[in-house]
Amino acid sequence: MTESNDAVDDSRRAALLMTGVVGGAGCVAAAVPFVASLTPSERAKAAGAPVVADLSQLALGEKMTVEWRGKPVWVLRRTPEMLASLKKTEGEVADPASKRTAFPTPAYAMNEYRSIKPEYFIAIGICSHLGCNPLGPLAAGAAAPLGNDPGFLCPCHGSTFDVAGRVFKNKPAPDNLEVPPHKYLSDTVVLIGDDSKA
Amino acid sequence: MGLHKTEYKGLLGWFDARMPTLMSEYKKHLAEYYAPKNLNFWYIFGGLAITALVMQIATGIFLTMNYKPDAASAFASVEYIMREVQGGWFIRYMHSTGASFFFIVVYLHMFRGLLYGSYRKPRELVWIFGCLIFLSLMGEAFFGYLLPWGQMSYWGAQVIVNLFGAIPVIGPDLAVLIRGDYVIGDATLNRFFAFHVIAIPLVLLGLVVAHILALHDVGSNNPDGMEIKDTLDPKTGRPLDGIPFHPYYTVHDIYWLSLFLIAFFAVLFLAPEMGGYFLEWNNFIPADPFQGPLHIAPVWYFTPYYSILRATTEYFMWVLAAFTVAYALLVFLSLKNSAARIATLGIALVLVVFMVVPGLKLDPKFWGVVLMGVSVLIFFGLPWLDQSPARSIRYRPGWHFWCLIAFVVIFLVLGYFGTQPPEDTRNLMSQVLTFLYLAFFLLMPWWSRMGEFKPVPARVTFAAH
Amino acid sequence: MKKLIASVAASVALVIFASIGSNARASGAEIHLDHWPEARAHDLAALQNGARLFANYCLNCHSANLMRWNRLQDIGLDERQIKDFLIFGNQKVGDLMTVSLRPRDAKAWFGKAPPDLSVITRARTSFEYKGTDYLYTLLRGYYRDASSPTGWNNVAYPSIAMPHILWERQGPRELTIERVLHVEDEKTKTSSSVRQLSVFDDAGNATVTRTPLKGHFDESTEVSFKPADTAAARQFDSDVADLVAYLNFMTDPSGATRVRIGVWVLVFLSFFTVLAWWLNRTYWKDIK
Repeated sequence: MTESNDAVDDSRRAALLMTGVVGGAGCVAAAVPFVASLTPSERAKAAGAPVVADLSQLALGEKMTVEWRGKPVWVLRRTPEMLASLKKTEGEVADPASKRTAFPTPAYAMNEYRSIKPEYFIAIGICSHLGCNPLGPLAAGAAAPLGNDPGFLCPCHGSTFDVAGRVFKNKPAPDNLEVPPHKYLSDTVVLIGDDSKA
Repeated sequence: MGLHKTEYKGLLGWFDARMPTLMSEYKKHLAEYYAPKNLNFWYIFGGLAITALVMQIATGIFLTMNYKPDAASAFASVEYIMREVQGGWFIRYMHSTGASFFFIVVYLHMFRGLLYGSYRKPRELVWIFGCLIFLSLMGEAFFGYLLPWGQMSYWGAQVIVNLFGAIPVIGPDLAVLIRGDYVIGDATLNRFFAFHVIAIPLVLLGLVVAHILALHDVGSNNPDGMEIKDTLDPKTGRPLDGIPFHPYYTVHDIYWLSLFLIAFFAVLFLAPEMGGYFLEWNNFIPADPFQGPLHIAPVWYFTPYYSILRATTEYFMWVLAAFTVAYALLVFLSLKNSAARIATLGIALVLVVFMVVPGLKLDPKFWGVVLMGVSVLIFFGLPWLDQSPARSIRYRPGWHFWCLIAFVVIFLVLGYFGTQPPEDTRNLMSQVLTFLYLAFFLLMPWWSRMGEFKPVPARVTFAAH
Repeated sequence: MKKLIASVAASVALVIFASIGSNARASGAEIHLDHWPEARAHDLAALQNGARLFANYCLNCHSANLMRWNRLQDIGLDERQIKDFLIFGNQKVGDLMTVSLRPRDAKAWFGKAPPDLSVITRARTSFEYKGTDYLYTLLRGYYRDASSPTGWNNVAYPSIAMPHILWERQGPRELTIERVLHVEDEKTKTSSSVRQLSVFDDAGNATVTRTPLKGHFDESTEVSFKPADTAAARQFDSDVADLVAYLNFMTDPSGATRVRIGVWVLVFLSFFTVLAWWLNRTYWKDIK
């Protein structure tokens, strides 16, 4: 009638194991909605949705700014002189081919212009050093740190970038300006924040 | 070197040598806390109450991450949680269902006390801490209910705070102090949020610890009512009818917790509004200070006391005054001490004057508040009101059981009436039931001693299972 | 213990049934409410039709500030459909269903600001009736009433400030309201029952006739409509059922998911309970 101690211990151990495993699975499942509630809500996702920018009114040499995910996104319509300067700055910038991965450059911007269309340069206007907003576009010779190249100058600690957002050598900022995901909906309309093929 | 000697090895040994309290308390309160082996179904509710508390705190923390305690955005922030926060609806429903289940569990837990005389000497303090927990829980629920800022939230708070305004002399100023404004508003919402989220939870946690420590210091009661510590094993010094709480009652509680969770999640997933009792329909209308709902009633767990409040009318004051006189006479005849006798008559006289003497009498509104307060606070008095020679209902005369059942029915019927709009027949019935409710307690020193009591055995009744 | 539970249950049931009689008729709706066909709640086509009706007819005066357009994906629409067919104006699909009518202006123009409809079916529910039944009856309960400021009145909500927005879809109808009233005779101070028949034609002119009744009858109200085009009226009923289905979805968008997950949770817990019972037994069988 009474089992031996070993048998009792075995049945206890088996019951403990099974209940523990199944109970543990239940606890993990119960934790899911709590952890999920920490992820971005629908309101956050809607606010972070892609933004449409209309480039038809943008004059040569001008820069417009749109807000995406709380960050300023620049669209710079580069002049032929600006584009020509990129060949010169190739040797002066720290990461000419945008190989660094801290802010990965999208495949469609892995070219000499760092953009889909050479004429329009699209980048997030936040310095890769400590987050200030660089000034620009500044003409060649307009500011001493930039020297004879057109580009951007960050007023906080003096980092400089060329008109493809590439940081010059020996500056506080380690990375080129980030290129956000984007795609053209037409020749003059670009969707910033979404580069899906669909 | 200052380290304690330890019987444990490894990491536990390292810890135990530096903080032996951990393992000593574990042994004292779990592995070597000897509880009676005959604890039945009615003994699960304490553990379930702790579970409910933990659930409310956990869900409350996550709700606070997204809720906005501001009159202009509170209502919308609750719906934001329900619709836009990932998993938010689940957390919200857990909190709303949890609140109602907390009260169901606590009422059943208290009922066990009535069944088995758990509040009797030497456990009066356990009971008092428990009653304080009950009061704190009522406060916690009241403050929390304002937060969704719906019609019921707003107007329910309005009514309850006005009850405090009914107190003579200091009432109106007290009501302004509570509200922080002349009407329920943003100031009220912010302070109720502070009370609900941190102030009362801290009090609750402290009281729960005190409640359990007080219990463990005297040992648990059991359905047969005798003290298991009266019969010790001569070799080990442990109660013969005792078993270690861990593992026996831990596995026992896990089983019953699982059943409780089935009921809890069935409600949460399939009927979270529970017909308008757990999530009130009127509370889906944003608070409108200019237009109240058709009828304002508190949430179901407060309705018995609300019925008692509503029952107190001008006419009923006369009945109460008569009962006060009769009761004073009864007490007078039962006391021997002349000072106590004079005090009894004096108090009765003062009460009757303020109840019915024209010019001096206080509004029935005030007496309603008093009666409502008495109907809750009277639970504190049970250890002294219950004079039965036997602790447990099992060894008391059969009709005592029916008195207890009658009280439960009275409680439930008063509760149901409290959810309904005022109506003459129901009001009259509420008055009768209020009278019986109070009589159950106030006459207990006499009726609990009457009848044929059965002999209480020395050992527990237990069938192996 | 069984005795205890049984007796408590019986007593409570007795008292509840005894009191129920006095609450049969609801406040707010004096008439019997029609039943909204609940099967529509799970019908995606009905919900989509309802969403379309809502966006076209309701979402000009009424806002739904807590509902996001892209949540309509839950009823089978994709972002393209929502943007092209439902959103008028330049709201984005991730925006909330706000309207430009200010509550202040609405109150001045209509006497009452149109309530936000985000949680309307729950808000209009009571212990006596369901919000879906109420709204289904309300939206189909309009009649022409020449004596009202808007020219419309409603059997479910007398003197309603909202005009009959969907009138074109419903078509003209004649209404007969049959009421049994208690009238007190001034001279003899006795109360007698009277039947009052009010017939509203489709221009809103009322013909009221009263006939005294022999014997005492409870006060009651019965309404019946006679549509000029029964087929149109029946189609209208179906459209309103779809609209109410949509309002019901909008009130509680996670409802369907909730029930689905719930079934699995209960299955899991039942299985876990068996294990917990087994665990309990392995320990307790050596307690004598």
